[in-house]
Amino acid sequence: MVSHAHLAMVLFFLTTTTLTLVLSTLLLHFMWPAKRKWDPRGQHCYVTGGSSGLGLAVAIALTRRGAHVSIIARNEERLMNALGEMEKVRTNANQKLQTFSFSLTNAESSSMALEAASQAHDGVPPHAVFLCAGASTPGFFVEEDAKSLQRGMENTYWVQAYSALAYTKQIVHRKTPGKLIFVSSLLGYMSIIGYSSYAPGKHALRGLAETLRSELLLYDCSVHIMFPGNINSPGLIEENRFKPKITLELESTSKPESPQVLAESLINGVQRGEFHITADILGDIFRSSTIGATPHNNVILDGVYATIGWIGLPLWRRDVDSTVLKHRSEHSDYLAARGFYSSSSL
Amino acid sequence: MLQLSDFQSAVLTSIFATLLVIWAMWPTKKWDPRGQFCYVTGGSSGLGLAVAKALTNKGAHVTIVARNEERLAKALAELEELRQNPNQVIRSYSYSLTDADSSKAALEVASKDHSGKHPDAVFMCAGAATPGFFVEEDANSMRKGMDNSYWIQAYTALAYTKAIVRDKTSGKLVFISSLLGYMSMLGYSTYSPGKYALRGLAETLRSELILYDCTVHIMFPGNIDTPGYAEENRTKPKVALEVDSSDKPTAPDVLATQLIYGVQRGDFHISPDMLSNIFRSSTIGATPHHNVLLDGLYAVAGWIGLPLWRQGVDSKVLKHRNEHEEYLAAKGFFKTVL
Repeated sequence: MVSHAHLAMVLFFLTTTTLTLVLSTLLLHFMWPAKRKWDPRGQHCYVTGGSSGLGLAVAIALTRRGAHVSIIARNEERLMNALGEMEKVRTNANQKLQTFSFSLTNAESSSMALEAASQAHDGVPPHAVFLCAGASTPGFFVEEDAKSLQRGMENTYWVQAYSALAYTKQIVHRKTPGKLIFVSSLLGYMSIIGYSSYAPGKHALRGLAETLRSELLLYDCSVHIMFPGNINSPGLIEENRFKPKITLELESTSKPESPQVLAESLINGVQRGEFHITADILGDIFRSSTIGATPHNNVILDGVYATIGWIGLPLWRRDVDSTVLKHRSEHSDYLAARGFYSSSSL
Repeated sequence: MLQLSDFQSAVLTSIFATLLVIWAMWPTKKWDPRGQFCYVTGGSSGLGLAVAKALTNKGAHVTIVARNEERLAKALAELEELRQNPNQVIRSYSYSLTDADSSKAALEVASKDHSGKHPDAVFMCAGAATPGFFVEEDANSMRKGMDNSYWIQAYTALAYTKAIVRDKTSGKLVFISSLLGYMSMLGYSTYSPGKYALRGLAETLRSELILYDCTVHIMFPGNIDTPGYAEENRTKPKVALEVDSSDKPTAPDVLATQLIYGVQRGDFHISPDMLSNIFRSSTIGATPHHNVLLDGLYAVAGWIGLPLWRQGVDSKVLKHRNEHEEYLAAKGFFKTVL
């Protein structure tokens, strides 16, 4: 029969063992990194969406670390400004800092951009490709149409997938090593009202990354994918112009993260060889709670995050659901005011 | 204080566990397809046909939509054989579902049979997979893959949701994703993104359609024993076939039963078997649980088992490196100007 004393001993034993395991793992993790960290110094890094927001922060952080950096975006003025900021943190005269204006929502253009950037490096493809390009235009599903949904997919998925395709083919063709880095979103781990044109593409990026992590074991290319929350960038300001009031309300409690902090997290994650990269504890909780067959970053820590998620995420979600529920009649008035119910064409 | 003997504790625990399992699995039939207008895309073959047959058998009005007219005619005949009463409206229409206007037109035409009233439930079973190596894909094949996994359901979902919100009627949106919407591996770069995207859409809509009277459901089956699967295996890389080989494809009728069951129970994510339940619980995030305790068991099983499974797949891929390089060389990959 189990007595109190027995239970106490077992609990004490379990607690000490767990604490020891956690502490020793943390110790080993920080003091003795398992593999030699990837060093961006002297490496050619290709950054899409590199003229603003997260992409620009990544480009600057890589420049500071001594990498050759090529940034790709559409707007030439922004590209020029970005180059100016990168030049400020140049560490040596040999660093090749370049800008290229190309559309990345077009496959051929994405391929040409890559080739153009490789030219200054004797045609050798970049060592690492940071796919930071993306944009979000939230809205109510019933107010979307096929075109806006397609545009959403272009600006979340294709804007990165085309570059990934062009790059992978290049490095396999030339038998050079590579790093493919996608940027998804917390909305690639879950979704809420207002993101029907955005979350599918961000989820799709995860699907592609999971496939490629497995498949590119055939070659010498590592795959990484980051899942940040809202980023304090011009992109977010633009995004918030269209965001439904209720979505804004739901997000009001979380502060957007600085692109510089996220850029550091991203580069550190790539250096550590992490597949899924998250920037804060919320990201780690979502990552661990949706981990499935995805490689762990740390089996024990991830277990802790997953347990917190198991309890906390349903509570959070129920709260979101009840906020949406309360919004029903206001939403009905909103649609009526926009003539939704009287419209003969949908 | 209550003192229990070991035996008494064991008995009580077993009874409790059994009751828990019974409670979890007890079907609470909230939705009855009888007399309901059900719209089934991809309804002329495979899973869609099995779903259409099951619904017809249960007395629903069933309209199937697909492209091939011959297959639709055959399917319609099979549905007629299962007709339960003369009042059932059983129809078939040939429309492309990878086109937004066509998807909308199909829905409107189907609703005409019901005096303009839109379906009570939409089962989006349409989909196809064409596996292959990523380096052998191009923009066209990737877009086609997204059309055949994501848009083929999303366009219908859009048309349907707008219609029922405008009409202020109630509805059910039922998506079909795949285990490849919970995880992925070599060979599925044109398919898995679309299946993940369906989950992203379903998660958004489960939250958003709380504003209206529409429930959202999404099933994640493994391989289905259908003509579609036979077609898929024609282009599937050898390594992926190897991984498949340990897992027998499921009969579509079994999945159809599980799907309808899940919709009746009001499940959001519908898991037709143990593996699907393990993946569901291991990737659950903020998605509603079926049963917090049972899901916990599945998640623990996944926490231990899935890394082992994945490491097995990874090591198969690694062993395949040389053979794959020879394969690419034989196809002239290294010589072609990219």
